[in-house]
Amino acid sequence: MTGTSGGTTGTETAEPKARSWGRWFGRPGRSLTLRLIWLASLWIVLALILAGWALTSQYQESALRRLGNMLGQTIDEVVLASSATPTGIQVAEIKDAQTLRPLSGEYWAVAEPDGRGGLKVLASSPSLAGEALSVPADLPGRLSAAFGQMISYTAEGPIGRPLRVAASMKRLPGREAPVVFMAGIDRSDIDSDTRQFATFTWTALLILGVGLVIAVLVQVQIGLRPLFDLRNEISDVRKGRIARIAHNYPLEIQPLAEQVNRLLDQNQETVERQRTHVGNLAHALKTPLSVMLAEAGNQAGDLPDMVRKQTEVMKAQVDHHLRRARAAARAQLLGERTAVAEVLDEMAVMLERVFEDKAVEIDWRAPDELGFRGERQDLQEILGNLIENACKWCRHRVRISAGPTGLGQMVVVVEDDGPGLPAEQREVALERGARMDETTPGSGLGLSIVVELTRAYGGRITLADSDLGGLKVLLELPAAEA
Amino acid sequence: MRVLLVEDDVDLSRQLKTALGDAGYAVDHAADGEEAHFLGDTEPYDCVVLDLGLPKIDGVSVLERWRRDGKTTPVLILTARGAWSDKVSGFDAGADDYLTKPFHTEELLARLRALLRRSAGIASATLSCGGLRLDPRAARATVNGEPLRLTSLEYRLLHYLMMHQGRVISRTELVEHLYDQDFDRDSNTIEVFVGRLRKKIGSDRIETVRGLGYRLTPLPGESTEG
Repeated sequence: MTGTSGGTTGTETAEPKARSWGRWFGRPGRSLTLRLIWLASLWIVLALILAGWALTSQYQESALRRLGNMLGQTIDEVVLASSATPTGIQVAEIKDAQTLRPLSGEYWAVAEPDGRGGLKVLASSPSLAGEALSVPADLPGRLSAAFGQMISYTAEGPIGRPLRVAASMKRLPGREAPVVFMAGIDRSDIDSDTRQFATFTWTALLILGVGLVIAVLVQVQIGLRPLFDLRNEISDVRKGRIARIAHNYPLEIQPLAEQVNRLLDQNQETVERQRTHVGNLAHALKTPLSVMLAEAGNQAGDLPDMVRKQTEVMKAQVDHHLRRARAAARAQLLGERTAVAEVLDEMAVMLERVFEDKAVEIDWRAPDELGFRGERQDLQEILGNLIENACKWCRHRVRISAGPTGLGQMVVVVEDDGPGLPAEQREVALERGARMDETTPGSGLGLSIVVELTRAYGGRITLADSDLGGLKVLLELPAAEA
Repeated sequence: MRVLLVEDDVDLSRQLKTALGDAGYAVDHAADGEEAHFLGDTEPYDCVVLDLGLPKIDGVSVLERWRRDGKTTPVLILTARGAWSDKVSGFDAGADDYLTKPFHTEELLARLRALLRRSAGIASATLSCGGLRLDPRAARATVNGEPLRLTSLEYRLLHYLMMHQGRVISRTELVEHLYDQDFDRDSNTIEVFVGRLRKKIGSDRIETVRGLGYRLTPLPGESTEG
């Protein structure tokens, strides 16, 4: 009991997990191909996005570092060119075309804290043309906190273009108050470079991504091909084209193929065992039945009559149930193919000899390549009973023709020139098995066995009038594909 | 008439022995395959009733041995399993009729009478062509001593060809002699039966003469007297 309840709980918890897993990676039981492609593509896209982001940010950072170095140099130059005077700061001329030409994009300025939290400009590069480098409100505070170090920021330049600005607070010899040195440089070139690099990088990664996904598609198709081959082979086994899986498969699925073969063998063994049991039981029961029948047969009276009648019933019951068990076991058998012409030939030769007194002539036609998808013994059972029945009822002629009907089916037509069967009795004959042929010697169960076996194979049986004058039995059975 | 009854069940053999005795047969009884084989091999029986499920040696093997030794005694087999595959293997071994257990004693007696009647007529007015032999009265044919399993239409075709061996026989002529009635009279029919017959007797024995018909000839090296 404990084991059962534990197992149930396990199943219950496992299910929702499987479902959410399935939502992301294709439901198990859906396509393995899709699942593999989906998973690989997801991983590729994630990896490429990460790579793209790392590349572009690295590029931008190094560009900014380069700008920072240039700004540091400018500041150093300005510091060297600066000297304190009693009135303020004197900056010697710096011979740099860029800082001389107005609004060139490269600027410097020297300032001092004005004591109200702002900066007062003491000198600036000619390129600024009287404009001022914009200063964030918190800059003077940060500069005095990090005295001597460089602080960089982005600000709007004199002509509305973005600037990279660096500022540093230093002391000049001969001057008590600290001086702020600033340098600015136009960063729009760097920004457009970075944008170009990003565009290029993302395009390249997109192409790479598409290429990789295509490669995955191809790889999955090729990688899973043995599985498709295996599927085809198993379906061939089912259709009766081959008996076992013969193909050599890759290491990973060869065990599966071998297990399928072992299963087929086991299936065959089970059927074989079942048949032996069935045969033994029949043998064990029928000899005593024969004894009872013979014993009663010698005497007249009510008791012997009853024994005779009941023995017949018992025989019928034994036959009926044993055949049913056999039919059920048999229909599961896969991969069997039986040549119809061979069975027809042996049946015709045998039954003509059995009915030699009556000079029965069995004319059978079947293409050599016609195969029944099922066991030889079953086809013998079906055709043996049908043809024996026809031989019992015919005057002299029995005609049999068999052929494929397409769609994996075949038809066997058995006709005789006997009295035939009125239409209203045909239903009954098929429903209850052929009780009505009890007047003819032999088993009265021929037709019921045929019906049971035919149904076990998913076939169909129809009765009609034959142009020979007697009964025409149409039998539809599964055909083995050539 | 001497009958050999081979059956291992004590009660059934007692009953059958009585019934056969009452019907006027002299009955010997064997309870296992070894004894049956010995008796059948040494005594000249007119008929054998053979159960297939026997101790020591099974019925089919016993029958095969008799036939291999050239015994032609008619044999009726009793099967308990009732499966057609058993009946077929019994016939392949050389049985002449079968009866499925349980059966009425009258049925057995009727079948025996029929068997004996059939075998009574056998004489040796045989036709031969090389290794082929055909006995018209028993309606049996052999190739190199092996019994041929022929349907009646195949037998009739072979019979006609053997009666006219060495001569070219047209398809029309064959069709006329194959069927009593006017059914199925097309020459394809003949091709089908010639094809089947070739499979059973060897394809070189029946020669196709283009546009004319067929001719039965002994194989090279075989003498017609055989």
